[in-house]
Amino acid sequence: MFFSFRNFKILPAILLSLSLICCSGRNSTSLKQTSGSDSSKSLTYEERQGRQLYKKYCAVCHGEEGKGDGFNAFNLDPKPRNFTDSIYMSALSDERIVETISQGGRGVNRSMLMPTWGGRLKREEIKYVVSYIRRFSYSE
Amino acid sequence: MGKLRIYFAASSIVFLVVLAISPLKDFFREWKWYQYKFNDLIKELPQRIKPAEIGIKQLWVRKLDRIDRCVTCHLGLKEKALQEAEQPFRIHPHIYHDFEEFGCTMCHEGQGLSTTFKESIGKVKYWDRPIFPREYMEASCAKCHKENQVPQAPILTSGRKLIEETNCVGCHKIDGLPKQWVPSLDGIGAKVNRMWLVNWLKNPKEYFLKTKMPNFLLLDDEANILADFLMTFKTFPKGAMLDPLPTLLMNSPDAQRERLIELGSIRFREARCISCHLINGKGGYVATDLGKVANKVDVKWLYNYIKNPKRLQPGVEMPRYHFNETELAGVVAYMQSEFTEGEEGTTPPHTPDPAYYEKGLALFKKYNCSGCHELGGMKKAEEMAPELTFIGSKKLYEIDFGKSNIEQSLPSYLFTKLKAPRVFSSSMKMPNYEFSDEEAQSIAVALLGNISDAVPEEFKIYPKPSSTFKPQGDFGKLVDDLACFGCHTMFGQGRSVATDLTLEASQAQRKWIEKYFKVPYSLRPILTERMPNLFLSERESKVLVDYMEQVFLADSLERDIKIDETKIAKGKILYFEKYGCQACHQIKLKGGYVGPALDNLGSRLKAGWIFHWLKNPQAFKPESIEPNNNLSDEEAEALTAYLMTLE
Repeated sequence: MFFSFRNFKILPAILLSLSLICCSGRNSTSLKQTSGSDSSKSLTYEERQGRQLYKKYCAVCHGEEGKGDGFNAFNLDPKPRNFTDSIYMSALSDERIVETISQGGRGVNRSMLMPTWGGRLKREEIKYVVSYIRRFSYSE
Repeated sequence: MGKLRIYFAASSIVFLVVLAISPLKDFFREWKWYQYKFNDLIKELPQRIKPAEIGIKQLWVRKLDRIDRCVTCHLGLKEKALQEAEQPFRIHPHIYHDFEEFGCTMCHEGQGLSTTFKESIGKVKYWDRPIFPREYMEASCAKCHKENQVPQAPILTSGRKLIEETNCVGCHKIDGLPKQWVPSLDGIGAKVNRMWLVNWLKNPKEYFLKTKMPNFLLLDDEANILADFLMTFKTFPKGAMLDPLPTLLMNSPDAQRERLIELGSIRFREARCISCHLINGKGGYVATDLGKVANKVDVKWLYNYIKNPKRLQPGVEMPRYHFNETELAGVVAYMQSEFTEGEEGTTPPHTPDPAYYEKGLALFKKYNCSGCHELGGMKKAEEMAPELTFIGSKKLYEIDFGKSNIEQSLPSYLFTKLKAPRVFSSSMKMPNYEFSDEEAQSIAVALLGNISDAVPEEFKIYPKPSSTFKPQGDFGKLVDDLACFGCHTMFGQGRSVATDLTLEASQAQRKWIEKYFKVPYSLRPILTERMPNLFLSERESKVLVDYMEQVFLADSLERDIKIDETKIAKGKILYFEKYGCQACHQIKLKGGYVGPALDNLGSRLKAGWIFHWLKNPQAFKPESIEPNNNLSDEEAEALTAYLMTLE
């Protein structure tokens, strides 16, 4: 007869082949997963937009490298913030920095020499700037 | 019988296996794996995120006729909690367009309908528009944004500017792009010295680093023949003749010549030639390097050119300085004595090739010199180079990569071509522009954006029609003579090197403008380009100011502000203690270097202008970095009152 005992020996073979197929499926996808994220060094979209704005509006005082040493910095007292100071920067929340930029120094009880940018820059733009400023205090 | 049973068993097993494979294949689809992984990921997060339903998802953008299935795997595009998540689950950066409205492939390119990673990237056979590398992404903005300035796409904007400035349209056809002004070569034989021309043709950047003339990689022989050919052209445009040198310059006793040179050096500095010209590495780079100009050009030509630049070189943006005869001779004498290098007359004897004219003409035509330069009415060669109007839609199989082993894609082809123009075949004629990586990339971005069939017409944003403002009468003649448009903008016309003059009469006081023409100075403590002294007569300066008072103003900017002591005191407090204006502006040499100095403001500007400017600086100068402090009318009036006291 067809359903004789002998034929059930084939069953493990079927199971084996099935498990092989599923293994190969998993392997191929997990390979692709790992080879997609090498963007740790390059800037994100927000950071690139922020860099444009930073260079235009902020770099004159805070410096191209964010060290608070722009060409206009020596006229100012107190000196502009050094964004590479990672200890100070890590204590600030993004919201606080957004607030400082948009309300200026006088809005957050700091030096009024920092102008208020809220009327010039949109809130989104200020967030871009903040994301770029954060780059200065990243440890390499 | 036994055999038959074995066959039957074997075939049924094969049948079963085949039957099992297809549901299993479906179960282990790549995208399902990502969806399970996404659901695992969000379980670990503290925030609650709706898990993904298993199944293919797509964005159907009817208006643009796009169907994109990228969202099948990119599941967290709108989840703020997934800021730091691994791809493909990370949040989409906040951009100016909502991706649900525009789809994915509109900007990123790639194959929207596919559901595997490899196919959606689009680097597969028969798919011509694979996903853009990130540095070329801005090319997609050009599908809709045809305007010249796209602030959100700086790479595209600078690429378009470079294409215009380097005059690609000299050889390549690009619809809607005007040809740049390039010096005419008529009369070059009576202008330059032959050795200089040979060296210039071999490598223009050696003489003037910022020149727009590219390097045609000519051989020594070719450069010599071409120079011989060009030196035969001694007639200037419209038959203009060179005036003889004045006796003052020709033969004057040494003592008199010394005085002449001294006068010339003063006038040369007052005329601020270095605003545009480079001298020993200092100055502007708008115009050519003057450091060795006496070795380059004939004195007679120099004298005639400074006397009236547009006569010898129609269309040039150099102003005609209104020097008198002695001053003119002095400037020429000064330049002749100062800007030389080495001994003259050391040029080796040269016997031209007997057939130099024919060979030179052939070279001139081969490299399409008349694409940019005018010479003896010669016509530009048609179809010299491929048209670039729709270069971004070029199919991969149409591109000849030659023997190079670069990545076979349009972006990398364009980039390589711009960096090393003749790398794909030795018969190519494109000159080398020595672009930096950044420049080559931005030009490639702008070229990739030149595509034909991207979006329906209603999405496209075209540039504003160019201004047709043309000043008339005596004023118009003077503006042409002094090349004002070379630096200033008036009603949308001209360059933006210096101030926009459209509202000048609403802005500045008449007396100040008149004084400024006599002794121009820099308003900003640091600035490279400066207004030259044009040596205008009283009458000419009156013509200019009268016209400005008639045309360059807006009545809406007038405001009657009553200035009293309380307002001034309040304004002073606002200036120094509330808004901290001294961070950027100087008064009596105290304060910042960012904005213009504010000394004499009360005798320079009109009160109405100061008031309106303070209320919204960007309304008048969109690029200004002055913060908009949202001043109330009282505050702006008080500040104006204080600023008007600075005299």
